[in-house]
Amino acid sequence: MNTLVGIAGLALAIATIGSAAAKTQPEAPRPSDQIYAERCAYCHDANGWGTRVLARRLPASDAVLLNRASLPPGYITFVVRHGIGAMPQFTPSEITDAELAELSRWLGRGN
Amino acid sequence: MTVLPPGLDQDVFERALDEFRAAIGAEWVFTTDADRASYLDPFEIGDQDVHASSAALAPDGVDDLRKILRIANRYRIPLWPVSMGKNFAYGTAAPEMRGSVILDLKRMNRVLEIDEVLGTALVEPGVSFFDFKAELDRRGSALWMSGPSHSWGSVIGNALEHGVGYTPYGQHVESICGLELMLADGSLVRTGLGAIQNSKEWQASRWPFGPGLDGLFTQSNFAIVTKMGLWLMPEPDGMAGVWISVPRREDYAALIDTLRPLRMTDVINAPYTIANGWRQITSGRLRSEVWSGPGAVSRERMEELLKERNQGWWSVTFNLFDSAEALDLRLARIRRDFERTLPEATMDIRRWAKGQPQESWMRQEVSLAALGAVDWGGNPGGHSDFGPIVAAVGERAEEVYSIIERRFIEFGKDPWIGMFGISGRALIFVADMYYTRTDEEEAARCRALFRQLCNDMVEIGIGLYRTHLHFMQDAVKMHGWGNAALPRLNNRIKDALDPNGILAPGKQGIGPWASSGPGIGL
Repeated sequence: MNTLVGIAGLALAIATIGSAAAKTQPEAPRPSDQIYAERCAYCHDANGWGTRVLARRLPASDAVLLNRASLPPGYITFVVRHGIGAMPQFTPSEITDAELAELSRWLGRGN
Repeated sequence: MTVLPPGLDQDVFERALDEFRAAIGAEWVFTTDADRASYLDPFEIGDQDVHASSAALAPDGVDDLRKILRIANRYRIPLWPVSMGKNFAYGTAAPEMRGSVILDLKRMNRVLEIDEVLGTALVEPGVSFFDFKAELDRRGSALWMSGPSHSWGSVIGNALEHGVGYTPYGQHVESICGLELMLADGSLVRTGLGAIQNSKEWQASRWPFGPGLDGLFTQSNFAIVTKMGLWLMPEPDGMAGVWISVPRREDYAALIDTLRPLRMTDVINAPYTIANGWRQITSGRLRSEVWSGPGAVSRERMEELLKERNQGWWSVTFNLFDSAEALDLRLARIRRDFERTLPEATMDIRRWAKGQPQESWMRQEVSLAALGAVDWGGNPGGHSDFGPIVAAVGERAEEVYSIIERRFIEFGKDPWIGMFGISGRALIFVADMYYTRTDEEEAARCRALFRQLCNDMVEIGIGLYRTHLHFMQDAVKMHGWGNAALPRLNNRIKDALDPNGILAPGKQGIGPWASSGPGIGL
């Protein structure tokens, strides 16, 4: 009897915990600050590897992407799709063209 | 520049692309130059165009996949499946055969199940280690992920490519438990206990009634993996981070012979890594800051740099997982063994207990730190790795190490060599060739070095664990026993499952198509 109760309890636990199956990347265009946080900030925040690599050849103030005085949207679009230096590129399945266009404008505005 | 699949003219390919657009939606068929550029290998050893794709398709599930396969079979279009496409140093998202169409599975990115009781998960190919860790954290899971050195890649892709991590579950391919596969003809198969209707045990046991097939679909091109079950480690009661520094070059064989029994008996209960002197001098620096001479950084200069940082010729790093009391016993045994065989070795230890904040040495946080060393030799930098599998026996490891170090120096490359003690019985060597991607001479020299090393290893009966796209044929040709019996068997399986050879031609040198012609035995 105890065994049966144990098995039933186990099944309930699996059903409860395993019920969610959400898409980790929703298909609706994501806002630029969210994309930046998900895809860029890890390397480009103040302590990121991208910032450290950029600091080898740029003034410290320009090494942090969000502090950069000039970030033309066309340049951002090109770099994201082609990569640059140690930064690998992103595919349109990771950041769609529409998201990239808005992200480029958002970064270019000095956010 | 227009790139076409082999054997197709522009008009026919355009018709096929129109059919793909109708099947999965025009917005998920990528054909512009910028789109295709995003699938090139950023660390290519030479001309990226050698492995350029003709287009990319991004299905959102098995229905889309089935439609794509129907069209690809009809037109004989080669497809190169990628999950996250972040297989850095081994080709990233680029296909082996120029003109292949990338089958980008990033949109299939659901974490379908995390079972806290059994410590298992079921995921789709587009789930990265970043995504997976975020989902574990969101659920407040008590299960730990075993991640590789960079977290951008796919949980599935990394396991299928025999990637490694730093926990007791660090041999990721051995954590696979059950696959869902789409074969080239569009049929969907579940391996293991997933073949049982309404199974609750698919992720609980690897070994079904009949053959266990999961391994067949790792490092292969026999099918497209659409779901993967994996085992996850319950949070441990405690951890110890261990750093051992071994002073002399000639200590190497004794080091391997000291570590082997500790790993085989599970005293060291997670993979260890060993770094030689050259591998240790790079951290946080550029090559130009320490060396301006011709050729590789000299041994004398390297030893000078080690001395500045008070580092020995070899460093060993590993984590132990257990309760505080059991960690004490493990550490005492490790100390005792090292004091007996390598008394001059030094050991640093950090400790963690459940409930304390995690620290970076525990390697439980996601990371992209590995990308930080890419520019070591020059910007834009790249690297690719020579990775022989070597018995964890001092004499054998010394034989292989000395050949690799000598050849790297001979070819003017810093011998940046590490070893992973993934299991007790074998080491995976990772000898990194760093290069400046715009330097064609250096890239050619690296390719020549790699091929020289393949020849050297065949001479002494050694094979590789993984290679860049450039060297798939070189690696498969090392498997010559029995008149290449194993590559021939792989080709027969390929012919049976994918008679048009449309799935990942050239991958692991299996099948009738490849950029350098038919594979071995064909």
